[in-house]
This record gives sequence, structure tokens and C-alpha cells, in this order.
Amino acid sequence: MSEPVLNVESINVYYGSIHAIKGISFEVYEGEIVTLIGANGAGKSTTLNTISGLLHPTTGSVSFLGEPLARVQPHKIVEKGLAQVPEGRRVFAQMTVQENLEMGAYTQKSGLAEDLEKVYSLFPRLKERMHQTAGTLSGGEQQMLAMGRALMSRPKLLMLDEPSMGLAPILVEQIFEIIADLHRTGATILLVEQNAQMALSIANRGYVMETGRIVTTGTGKELLASEAVRKAYLGG
Amino acid sequence: MIFLNYFISGISLGSIYAIIALGYTMVYGIAKMLNFAHGDVIMVGGYICFYAVARYGMNPFLGVAVAVVGCTLLGIIVERLAYKPLRQAPSLAVLITAIGMSYFLQNTALLLWSSNPKVFPSIIERGSFKLFDGRLSVSHVTVLTIASCLVIMGVLTLFISKTRLGKAMRACSEDKGAAQLMGINVNATISMTFAIGSGLAAIAGALLCSAYPTLMPTTGSLPGIKAFTAAVFGGIGSVPGAFLGGLMLGVIEIFAKAYISSQLSDAVVFAVLIVVLLVKPSGLLGRNIQEKV
Repeated sequence: MSEPVLNVESINVYYGSIHAIKGISFEVYEGEIVTLIGANGAGKSTTLNTISGLLHPTTGSVSFLGEPLARVQPHKIVEKGLAQVPEGRRVFAQMTVQENLEMGAYTQKSGLAEDLEKVYSLFPRLKERMHQTAGTLSGGEQQMLAMGRALMSRPKLLMLDEPSMGLAPILVEQIFEIIADLHRTGATILLVEQNAQMALSIANRGYVMETGRIVTTGTGKELLASEAVRKAYLGG
Repeated sequence: MIFLNYFISGISLGSIYAIIALGYTMVYGIAKMLNFAHGDVIMVGGYICFYAVARYGMNPFLGVAVAVVGCTLLGIIVERLAYKPLRQAPSLAVLITAIGMSYFLQNTALLLWSSNPKVFPSIIERGSFKLFDGRLSVSHVTVLTIASCLVIMGVLTLFISKTRLGKAMRACSEDKGAAQLMGINVNATISMTFAIGSGLAAIAGALLCSAYPTLMPTTGSLPGIKAFTAAVFGGIGSVPGAFLGGLMLGVIEIFAKAYISSQLSDAVVFAVLIVVLLVKPSGLLGRNIQEKV
């Protein structure tokens, strides 16, 4: 295979004295959806924040498009084409929907109108509410906004941190349909989820994390069928 | 008519508080720190303006421009050396550093310019407009002060709501982590906020010293504290709040001086602050912080 878009190589991450990530390695290739699943506290978000440069590994390396990110500041990482939709959405509640999207395009020099059009056609709901402040949106709409905002930076890799969190099942399905649609149009996606069933059903490959380690890996189908994963994450 | 006179001087004094309060509130909004050295930046601005105009014979408006540039640089340097290294530190450490910086600036001024008060030349010709057959007189400085405050407020509001950098500032003030994930350089945005606040402090310094022409190393501290009060009064972190808080504080202070007692005026000002905060802890226009999961 060609060179991976994202290559994480045996990283160790500490929060103070807590050893949160214990030497994990994985890679994401162009056009793939890869999912990291695992229970609360397994280190999934920590992994994403390390890739985004908000946290630093003590050992190991993260490379994006063949370039090591060790000395790159978080805002420069976004410029290189790596966008993260953070856990809990974290939209700018007091700014309007449109302003939120504009912030997503902060690293883009041109093409704002065109990108806005694209995001609005993907999420018509957001267009209806473009002048509302983001804080007035429902949870599902905020998730759409957070995703649209990340897409505004024209990412070469989109990382989603628990997009299903706190959403009603019908909305979760909608969000996952959108993720699958994005994948069909060629987007490369790294998806972190607790909802293993949903995540594995759309993912090409998956990694199962447990207390800072990757314990199992395989294609989405294999993991869905695996007895161990079934027991631990899919409720029997 | 005398009432109107007091009211206008209150608005004028309040305009100066408002301009200073904008610096406090913007820095608080973004860096979540109280920059107690802000008042002393006003004093430095006053001295730069004084030397430019009185010693080097510059045009007063050019003098103010020099002071703005000087204070902007000062703001950036102070932020860079004293506050930036403490970005991850507990807020108490930052607060104490800010108080230390305030003393540092005052004492440096004492060394450089001595404690002898300087008589500040007004930045515009002294004199006044007579209205209502001379029953109401409004000094030129008063008009200039109020006009400057309105212009600054207008430009700043436009800047924050319309420009890319202004929007980035709002994003940073809401959620620095998320702003970083948008590709916003949070550190640079914070430095920029300090620069703008300090530049405004220079204008406030020139206006303050034109209205009350004694310039000393401690000139900035009391107006600094009052403006900080104004920012809290209006709701710290809110730009319109700083404007409203500043104006109200000025008017209350002048009325208290005129109708109650000039010694007690500051006590009245702070009593009103306490009442406002008891009724509305976030200040007049402050927003209650809502945590949404």
C-alpha cells in the first residue's frame, strides 16, 4: 500500500503522572474510515488530542502526510489539513452558525462562499439557522455544526470524537449516514466512538482500545463478528 | 442647568473610565486574567504624550499617536515577558504577577521621571463652548473626550463583530481549545488583545491628563481601579458592558461629589457597585456562564 495519511507510531502520553496512552500504533490510509472504539477512559480522546498537537507524546511519533508533527503547533496542524471535531461539539455558543463556519475556515485564504455553500447543502438545517447563535441549536444541530465547521478547513483527514454522544438514536443514525456519505465522496476519516456497533458498521477498519492500549484490530466486519468485541462492547 | 453641567462632566469622566475599562474587559474576556498593570499603562501613555508635546514640541495629536504606538509596544512586551510564560499557571499566580507588574511600571516611572508632578499640556486648546446664553459651558476637552469614546466604541464594536481577527478573538474568549482546533493562533490573538487594550490606554491617558492636568507615576492607579470597577459593573468580558459601566460610574461619581460629599464620592461609587453585584452578580450586561454538555 502507499504511504498512510496518518501514521501513529508507539506513542506514550502522560497526564502528569498518569500513563494515559501506553505505546499505541496505528495508521489511516487515504479514503478510509478507521475507527477507534473502547470504553470511557480508554484513551481515545487523548489519542486524538495528541494527534492534533494539544498534548505531546513523551516517546513515539505522529506523522501526517509523511511529515512528523512533533514540533508543529496545533494551529499549524490544522493548516496542514488535519481537522478535529472535538468531543462534546464545542461550538462557539455565542456566535452565529455562519460565524462558527467562518471560524472553521480560518486557515483558508479563499473560497469561503463556495465552501459555505457546500456545507449548507450537506446540512440544510444549518442554512435555515445561519443567523441564529449556535447556543440555541439542539444537540443534533450542534453536532452538524461542529462537523460542518471542521469541513470548512478542507481537511485531508477528518477526526471525529464521539459524534453520537448525547444524541437520540434517530439523530445518531442521521449523523452516521452523513459520515458514510462523506466517506463515499472520498473523505478520509478517523472516528472515535463508544457506540461500537454503529462505528464498526461503517468503518473499513477498527482498533479496540482498553486502558491506553490497542487490544484488537481488524476490519469493521471482523470486529463486529468477533466474540471478544461482542462481549465487551456490543452487549453480548 | 447646573444638573446638566454635572451630567456632562459625569459622562466625560465616564468616557475615560469606559476607554480604560475596554482594555480590562477585552483582556479578561480572552486571557481570563485581570491585568492590574493596565492603569499604569495609562500613566506611561501620559508621560510619552507629555514628553512628545511639551519637550519635543510635537503636534499634540501626533503626540497622542506616538503614545499609542509606545503603549501598544509596551503592552506586547509586558504580555510577552510577564504573562505569556504563565499561560498554564494557576490564575492566582497570574494575578500576583499583574500586581507586581503594576508596581514595576510605577517605580520605573519614578526612577525615570521622578515624583514631581508634571503639568500636562492639554492636547487641544483650552476653552469651552457656551450654550443657552452662557448658562451651560462645555469645555473643548469634554467634547473631545466624549467624542473619542464614542468613536472608539463604534470602531471596536465593528472590529469585533465583522473582522476576521475580531471574530477569532470572540472564538478564543469562548473556548480556547476549540479555537486552536480551528487553526487560530491563540497566543498571537491574546497578544493582539493586549496590544489593542494598551493602545486604548494611551488615548485614555492623554484625555485624562488633559482634563486633570497633573501627571505623576501614580496617576494611573486610581483611574485604573475605577475603570476596573466599571468593567465589573457592566459585566466583565462584555464590551458594551464596559462602555455602559464606565459612563454610569462617571455620572454616579460626579453626582455624588456634587450632591452628597466630595470626600464620600468614591464610597458611594463602590456602594452602588456592591448593590449591583448583589442583585446581578454577572454585572449589568454580563452573561451568566452556561456550561452545556
